[in-house]
Amino acid sequence: MSNSSDSPERRKFLSGVVATIQAAIGGTLGVILGGSILSPGFARRNENWLDAGRLADLADEIPTPVTLRVARQDGYSQVVERQVVFLVKSGSDVKALSSTCTHLGCRVSWQPDTQQLLCPCHGGVYDKAGAVVDGPPPEPLAVLPTRVEGSQVMVQV
Amino acid sequence: MRGVFDWLDSRTGFRAARHHLLDEPIPSGVGWWFITGSILLFLLGVQVVTGIVLTMYYVPSPESAYDSVRFIMDGLPFGALLRGFHFFGASFIVVAALLHLVRVVMFGSYKKPRELTWMTGVLLLLVILAFALSGYLLPWDQKAYWATTVTINIARGTPVLGEHVANLMRGGADLGALTLVRWYSAHVFLLPAALIVLVLSHLYLMRRHGISGPIEPVAGPAKPFFPYHVLKDTIGMAVVFAVLLTFVFSIRVPLDAIADPSDASYIPRPEWYFLSLFQLLKYFPGPLEPVATMVIPGVVVGGLLMLPFLDSSPHRHPFRRPVVMLCFGVLGLAVTTLTTLGLRDTPPEAASQWTPMAIAGQALAADERCQACHRPGGAANPVSELRLRRDPEWIAGHLADPEVIAPGLRPAPPGGLQPAQAAAVVQYLTLARAGAQPPEVSVEERMAATAFARHCVNCHQIDGEGGAFGPDLSHIGQTRDAAWLRAWIADPSEVDVLANMPGFSDAMSDTELGVLSDYLAARK
Repeated sequence: MSNSSDSPERRKFLSGVVATIQAAIGGTLGVILGGSILSPGFARRNENWLDAGRLADLADEIPTPVTLRVARQDGYSQVVERQVVFLVKSGSDVKALSSTCTHLGCRVSWQPDTQQLLCPCHGGVYDKAGAVVDGPPPEPLAVLPTRVEGSQVMVQV
Repeated sequence: MRGVFDWLDSRTGFRAARHHLLDEPIPSGVGWWFITGSILLFLLGVQVVTGIVLTMYYVPSPESAYDSVRFIMDGLPFGALLRGFHFFGASFIVVAALLHLVRVVMFGSYKKPRELTWMTGVLLLLVILAFALSGYLLPWDQKAYWATTVTINIARGTPVLGEHVANLMRGGADLGALTLVRWYSAHVFLLPAALIVLVLSHLYLMRRHGISGPIEPVAGPAKPFFPYHVLKDTIGMAVVFAVLLTFVFSIRVPLDAIADPSDASYIPRPEWYFLSLFQLLKYFPGPLEPVATMVIPGVVVGGLLMLPFLDSSPHRHPFRRPVVMLCFGVLGLAVTTLTTLGLRDTPPEAASQWTPMAIAGQALAADERCQACHRPGGAANPVSELRLRRDPEWIAGHLADPEVIAPGLRPAPPGGLQPAQAAAVVQYLTLARAGAQPPEVSVEERMAATAFARHCVNCHQIDGEGGAFGPDLSHIGQTRDAAWLRAWIADPSEVDVLANMPGFSDAMSDTELGVLSDYLAARK
């Protein structure tokens, strides 16, 4: 098998051709398969302004938990997602704090006796403005955009 | 690096394995005809990888299957292409398998000592067809549901065991959730397992007996499989892949409306590769049916399996095997003819299903009373995103009386949608769920369709839809012009004192009256 039509150079060249074509096929398939697998990771949530209740019902300077219902697409299905935000009123101004701890994503709750927001998982503590007081959280609680429309508080989630 | 490979080789012996796999000497004269098997293997590989990714999104339940496929098509980037590969790949595999079979028959490659190689090949063909058949049902659209109904009813015709076979296929007395999961299980577990075992056996046997090669030995040195024959295989794969890619990019894979067991109007059609069998049924009506469903396919499959024993002469040249050639010629001709006849009998797809009622339904569903709940953050999903889960009767009840939990429990208060209007909304929602994009219609046409749906549809029909109390208006433009229609709609008693239709000059604006009469006058 060592005649002129089977020289090592020829073999090497043909191997290169084979590898190139197969790489092109594999690459094309890879883009479509990889794109299908990875693309949901890049999807962005739609943002909605939701009615979070009447401004007059909120107590001053006390975080009030409000459950917002967001109907949204969840892949092929539709779900109603319930999100808890803390509304803090100061005069005519209102601030909406996310209830998701910035440490590892547990749900914080308001402690009336200490006047603090406490995360049950690793003891993260926030004050009523969302700033970290104690524990592992690296950042203050996220503040969601709010606006007041008439008597209603609107929150963007 | 070399050290790492040396170590790996000392532990695994991969170099010897690679040598065994790639350096097989291929005799001179093994040409392009011998790439069909590799192409088939390549296409099977494409099905496996695209199938695996599809299972990341597909849900095998009647509630979700359709929506999950719809999501793959419309919501998932690259999803339509992914399903395109899997869908067209199935057809390509059937073609490639038949070409491979024809090649083997033409070259007499099934002969001693390759009888078992041939038989595993025939079994693989059956597995491929079973894949196609079970894959059909999974999208749970009309085609899926009705084609499977027909398939199962054919199986029910099995002598003696018919009902048991049908129950086994359905997983119960009815085609439903259990059927879907069991066909899914077959499609993604059972059949792939059979496929892997059979492909490995086929390849093992092929290597054990060597490639059959040209009919008459060709003088010349043997060359290693890699890269010489692999290059031919690879070029073949590239060409087939390019054609497949063209299909995937240029044709959107169809997805019918969701399966509706109550729909009597749907005409099920199998994929083209089962069309010949479907057509055959037409020539064996009534008690003769098992001839078409069991006897003929059974004889063909049995004959294929036993071919190496039926034709045991050592001659490979086609001219020395006239009977075999004649049988395959007749078989090929019969399948081709039946498929062609079947294609010719296929009714044309209904054109645009966006009737005036569906267009009006879209406008009616955009009403602010609907938006009160169907809005972002509202009590229900926005109408445009709704995935219809209720039957038309429930929706009609809900539209007449949206507040009641179980529509129909109390007489609907005034203000809800009338039955014919509700029917228009149902039509719109059904189309929207099937992913049909609303057509581009002029502002006037939409306004006219909406006015018709609001005020006229309970008594009058257009194109077979609406109430039958008043005259059919589908072709009213043939007898009345716009001016007459306008005057009549505004106040019929002005035109004819005996008219028993109420006037609409108060209910409709001047513009609405104008576009509606123009619209009706244009219906010739």
